[in-house]
Amino acid sequence: MTAPLLELRSVSASYGPIRALKDVTLRVGRGEIVALIGANGAGKTSALMTISQIVRASAGDVLFDGRSILGMPPDRVTAAGICHVPEGRRIFARLTVEENLRMGAFLVRDAAVVAARMEAAFAVFPRLRERRMQTGGTLSGGEQQMLAIARALMLEPKLLLLDEPSLGLAPLIVRQIFDVVADLRRRGVTVLLVEQNARMALRLADRAYVLETGEIRREGPGAELLDDPAIREAYLGG
Amino acid sequence: MIQTLWDGFVQGALYAVVALGYTMVYGILMLINFAHGEVMMLGAYAGVVTLAGLAGSGAMASLGLPLCLCGAVLASMGVAACYGFVVERVAYRPLRGAGSLSPLISAIGVSIVLQNFVMLTQGNAPIYVPGADKAWQDALTGGWTAGPLSVQPTDALIVAVCVLLMAGLWLFVQKTRIGTAMRATSQDRVMARLVGIDVDRVISATFVIGSALAAVAGVLTSLLTMQAKFDMGFLLGMKAFVAAVLGGIGNIPGAMLGGLLLGLVEAAGIYGLRADYKDVYAFGLLLVVLIARPRGLLGERVAEKV
Repeated sequence: MTAPLLELRSVSASYGPIRALKDVTLRVGRGEIVALIGANGAGKTSALMTISQIVRASAGDVLFDGRSILGMPPDRVTAAGICHVPEGRRIFARLTVEENLRMGAFLVRDAAVVAARMEAAFAVFPRLRERRMQTGGTLSGGEQQMLAIARALMLEPKLLLLDEPSLGLAPLIVRQIFDVVADLRRRGVTVLLVEQNARMALRLADRAYVLETGEIRREGPGAELLDDPAIREAYLGG
Repeated sequence: MIQTLWDGFVQGALYAVVALGYTMVYGILMLINFAHGEVMMLGAYAGVVTLAGLAGSGAMASLGLPLCLCGAVLASMGVAACYGFVVERVAYRPLRGAGSLSPLISAIGVSIVLQNFVMLTQGNAPIYVPGADKAWQDALTGGWTAGPLSVQPTDALIVAVCVLLMAGLWLFVQKTRIGTAMRATSQDRVMARLVGIDVDRVISATFVIGSALAAVAGVLTSLLTMQAKFDMGFLLGMKAFVAAVLGGIGNIPGAMLGGLLLGLVEAAGIYGLRADYKDVYAFGLLLVVLIARPRGLLGERVAEKV
């Protein structure tokens, strides 16, 4: 078996006295879509932040492509090939759509490559092309989510960290976003997806982990967890 | 009246250029860099010392005044840019993440150190622009008159340089990759990191650019008064800070607008009321604007960051 693209080994993290993650071990293989599900406050967002090094793990190790990235500055982590689409989307509200995308490609020096990727982003999300000169803050929630994902894809990451892409969006838009994520698999992008909408996440994911109060409680193929009575009870509304 | 407004415009342009440094640093770090006025003073000294050196060695006679002025401005920008870079590293970066009070106190400390350093090394008497030189006499006797308005060459130079600097900075921030990264960093520092921006380098660049701008304003100010003094940065820095707050601190066009407005209001007050209350008009204007618009003229209402 080849080494996984991403590996968390017994990672713990805390905010002051509050323990956010306890001994979390997980792996994401190349080309996989892995979902991380769990209730509010279970530590899903914290897990992503310890990967992108926004939050420093207090114990354990984070390996990307077989090398430890623990303690690396977040911008170096991004340069290594991990793009993080954080919770709440965090669009640069006073930059235009186009400028937001340019910032996504900040590390790409070749203007022709940036232009080509921007065209590709507009092909996936035609709405963004219509809005390219508008500032990010004037977009609807769904458009902002599209922009957040498109911005991350500008770097053609090896691994995409997606935090709650469906949060607060209309069902139709959620479907569209999930279609795009499913499409990433065909393009060979590996995805670690954090979702409250467990049903959609488990349907999409190859494998999934269930996080509860900072600890991994279950792991398995998405379809298997979807059929598990305990999981259905706790996360899928019976 | 028109003459007074023109004089106010000249002074306002200088305030505006210095205000840019305050507003850029605040926009990114939420730090009021109280040492910024001192950078302007340092720039003025670097410029005047260079001019005096050129005049003393006879180089001014052979090179001509415009070339010497360019040299002095470049020298002062270089000194101030190095200073801005080093101070950010030494006095502010170690305090990042230490709350907002510590860097503020550090800034006041830097300001005191710098003033005293210049006072001890250059003396507490003003140093003078070598105005007795023939090149100056020739340059200053020119000027243009149009109706009630007469424009001195120095004033015209100040306005031209300040407008160029403001336009240049605006283009840099709006059009270039680094400029856009600065705006992105000021809007969301964590997200800027997540797209791969080296935020520390952006902050360094902000200090270097702001300091170089202040240095030019310092040299131009000393051309206006024909001298530089170790404590000149305090009041001018304060005024420029007022200009930045007037326009909405963190907002670049706001700083330009605030500076010009401040210069004009001061001039109007001097003309219509009493000249010795000049500073009262400046700070009074600040009070009035802040009561009506707490975020300044162009300040935006942004949601509090969590």
